[in-house]
Amino acid sequence: MNGNGAALQVSDIRKTFEEGSQRVEVLRGVSLHVAAGEVLALEGPSGSGKTTLLSIMGCILTASSGELSIGGEPVRARHEAQLREIRRRQIGFVFQQFNLFPALTAAENVEYALNVKGHRGRAAHQEAVRALTQVGLADRLHFLPRDLSGGQKQRVAIARALAGAPPVLLADEPTANLDRESGARVLELFREVSKREGKALVIVTHDPKVRAVADRVLSMHDGLIAA
Amino acid sequence: MVSLARRNLLHDRLRFLITVAGVAFAVTLVLVQVGLFMGLLDKATVTIRNASADVWVTSRATPNVDFAHTFPETTVLRVRGLPGVERADNLIVQFMNIMLPSGAEEGVLVYGLEDFHAWHLPWDVEQGDVSDLRRGGYVFLDRSAELRFGPFQVGDYREIFGRRFKIVGATHGAASFTTAPVAFMDYRQAQELHQSLPNRTSYILVKTAPGVDPAVVAERIRRVAPYNDVYTRDEWARRSRTYWVRQTGLGMSMGVTVFLGILVGIVIVAQTLYTSAVEHVREFGTVKAIGGSNWDIYRILGEQALIAAVVGFLLGGAASWAVRPLMARIHLAVTLTPSFGAAVFAGTVLMCLGAALFAFRRVARIDPALVFRG
Repeated sequence: MNGNGAALQVSDIRKTFEEGSQRVEVLRGVSLHVAAGEVLALEGPSGSGKTTLLSIMGCILTASSGELSIGGEPVRARHEAQLREIRRRQIGFVFQQFNLFPALTAAENVEYALNVKGHRGRAAHQEAVRALTQVGLADRLHFLPRDLSGGQKQRVAIARALAGAPPVLLADEPTANLDRESGARVLELFREVSKREGKALVIVTHDPKVRAVADRVLSMHDGLIAA
Repeated sequence: MVSLARRNLLHDRLRFLITVAGVAFAVTLVLVQVGLFMGLLDKATVTIRNASADVWVTSRATPNVDFAHTFPETTVLRVRGLPGVERADNLIVQFMNIMLPSGAEEGVLVYGLEDFHAWHLPWDVEQGDVSDLRRGGYVFLDRSAELRFGPFQVGDYREIFGRRFKIVGATHGAASFTTAPVAFMDYRQAQELHQSLPNRTSYILVKTAPGVDPAVVAERIRRVAPYNDVYTRDEWARRSRTYWVRQTGLGMSMGVTVFLGILVGIVIVAQTLYTSAVEHVREFGTVKAIGGSNWDIYRILGEQALIAAVVGFLLGGAASWAVRPLMARIHLAVTLTPSFGAAVFAGTVLMCLGAALFAFRRVARIDPALVFRG
């Protein structure tokens, strides 16, 4: 599959960090593409550059060189305000640590993310309820994160990522803090959502079970996609 | 819209209580201390405000109403003859010693006038008729005297500078800035008590004719009494207040108290908001990662600071209000006016928002990429 019509495409991305007088090249020319409705698993040992690549694809970091396109539109923004706007409209994140707001209920966690993305009032609340219902948590709307299991917390995080209908979902080790059974259910949910809603999904993982739900698996070593 | 600020405050109640307690403490400190100070300043001008004199004639360089010097009492004759003057009378104000039943002596501030009714003095009579003061060795004593002199009854006798006076009335709220109670007696009686007073007076009270500007009358008096100072009521009150604020260091002392109160508030609010920001750094990183800006986080911290300010002010205000009757028992007034309350509220809000700036600096540096760290 080539990159034509890809929801997410990176071409020859390089990233260099300066640590004192040293320059560390973390990404050394990475190219990949993900189509709408496709699940891509990105594997690799620690330090291989997976998370840096995920940060660049999520517009949290900018590449030293190379090109990023989301929805066919090249991302040329370098200013934080422009990158923030792309994150709001185009990207949904799911984190290893869930990163839910502990003081907010499940519904409020999703609604707050919608508020940040510019959705307000009753419409935001209804959208939050819809997203949580979609991930099977209709009966946990008013639960605080501390009262939810690990799997349920990650489902709330997925609902939050889906809120606002971004075309790209980026997940960082989403099963690392889950038991085997919960991890399997979350992965199945990821695949289901991606296929049903046509989301381009990238899962950065060490978990071999991800292979079972991924359409493609790429491995990274030393800042490069392994052949 | 979901308020992460409010929910985080309620989620961490202990921290919120500490913050609010700090703000309430600072507010109470400022309200009570400055309220007491304003109450004392009220005392410094209480007779000026209550007497119906539009213009006061004093000896040269008299600093305030309590610390009077004397000048020839015949000066009043020149004042009475001026156009625009409806009435002018001499007033003696003099610290004297009063003998207590125990044999101890205490200070009392004597006000001597010929016609108290004409000048609306004393203004709050609890018992007695001020007309009786004209009959000779009689005195009205203020109830605040009980705190220092012990209880007294109308009909009791007290010696002032060795001369017996019968207490024929009691008043309220007549005390000097130094808390010395006021005794009201006939002008001639007062004059005979002190060696510096025969044929001399402390002040001339002047009532202007209806429609005449007191400032114009004051200027006319200055021309006929060149060795005296002449003030309108407001000028004289201001001079008396200024003396206590500037000359005695009380103003500086009050300023230091207010500064310390504000400092305590800032330190507590800044410290709790800053540690809160540090503890919620991952949450704020998440806000940034999902598209929030620094301003979204500033709003969270700002709203928390504002809530702490409002709740702390309400608690501090309530505590200060509750202190008033306790202070009144010892004849100290805590003066809390709406404008003073509004100023302290505005100061509290500014203090809390200012304290939040430290936390702003911390969250501004949050890197959203931290959300990917395990």
